[in-house]
Amino acid sequence: MIISNDEDRLRESITFAEPVIPQRISADPEVVENGLAKLVLSIIELIRRLLEKQALRRMDAGNLTDEEVERLGAALMKLEEKMEELKRVFGLTDDDLNLKLGPVRTLE
Amino acid sequence: MPDETQEITLLETLDHLLDRGVVIAGEATISIGDVDLLYLGLNVVLANVDAMRRTGQK
Amino acid sequence: MKSVVIGAHLRREDVEPIAETLPVGELFLSAVSIANDRPLGDRDLLIEVAGIRGQLLDRATFIAIRYGLAVRDEHEAAIKCIGFVPQWRKLLDAHREEVEMTLKAAASAPPARPDRHDFASGGQYLRALHEASRAVDVDPQFKTGIERTLVPLATEHRWLHRDTTSIELAMLVRRRDLETVRTAGEKLRRDFPKIPFLLSGPWPLEVFANDHQQ
Repeated sequence: MIISNDEDRLRESITFAEPVIPQRISADPEVVENGLAKLVLSIIELIRRLLEKQALRRMDAGNLTDEEVERLGAALMKLEEKMEELKRVFGLTDDDLNLKLGPVRTLE
Repeated sequence: MPDETQEITLLETLDHLLDRGVVIAGEATISIGDVDLLYLGLNVVLANVDAMRRTGQK
Repeated sequence: MKSVVIGAHLRREDVEPIAETLPVGELFLSAVSIANDRPLGDRDLLIEVAGIRGQLLDRATFIAIRYGLAVRDEHEAAIKCIGFVPQWRKLLDAHREEVEMTLKAAASAPPARPDRHDFASGGQYLRALHEASRAVDVDPQFKTGIERTLVPLATEHRWLHRDTTSIELAMLVRRRDLETVRTAGEKLRRDFPKIPFLLSGPWPLEVFANDHQQ
């Protein structure tokens, strides 16, 4: 049974489990380095987002100590900072990393 | 069934297969400090992504 | 050959002959055999497994195991799953006549993401992120509509915030109430034409197969 409404707008707001990793890595040596950077950064960003989502899940569950909240928060800030730095270094934008595909779903 | 509905049906069916249920396959754990956060099972994500992108072919 | 595991079932006859069985403790895992070198991410395989899941669900309610578990044999399956068996047995006994239904709906106004530069400590930042994630909700009238027409049909339900642009309702529904759920869904569709939502099911125990709050 599938009952859906306003299907045109469904895809914009409702996420389905979809790989968030660019699928084509060129074998052309001139673009290989850039292609690899995109792949690696996309994976790191995916993991960063998943970590964040999971940290939020743990917050929901309320089973973290104050110290753990502090440590998680600090690590997430650091990860965000590092990602921004790496994107700058490689001259890549969120678009390049295919990150505009939408919110990332957590592994439960 | 119109194409759009078919695609959504497929996406929803795959979403339920891939994104829910009890996680057993965890090859590695990513933790921050002592807090285990993620189990990694990369085989689905990295394999044949391009094929998964094909829509409206069935 | 390797076996792609699909779910956990109470009885062998809940699985055969639709899929293969791998006994684990007093339960039975359903699985499909594939060549060792066949990648799990193969689209055709995913669609095949999705189809088998549907057939298995027609037979009996089962515990959904997230796609991605492939085992060499019964022995490996047992090692990986035996710890879950008591909990699974309880859930399968409790929910024999029920299935899961899912309603996904677009959030009415996704909240702005807090900027980490505005926070002095990691803890403050994480707490702000948490606040923002919980602020996601659907149009209140739509929510009321759901609570009046769908929720009463569920034996259990859970609102989930899976991401910042949508909200989800997971429900346990008796099989015999499925047509009533369909009718309620069609009514929601007529009453709220401008709100993107998706009501789908039936599904095996997915959200309700996990102990903890999702």
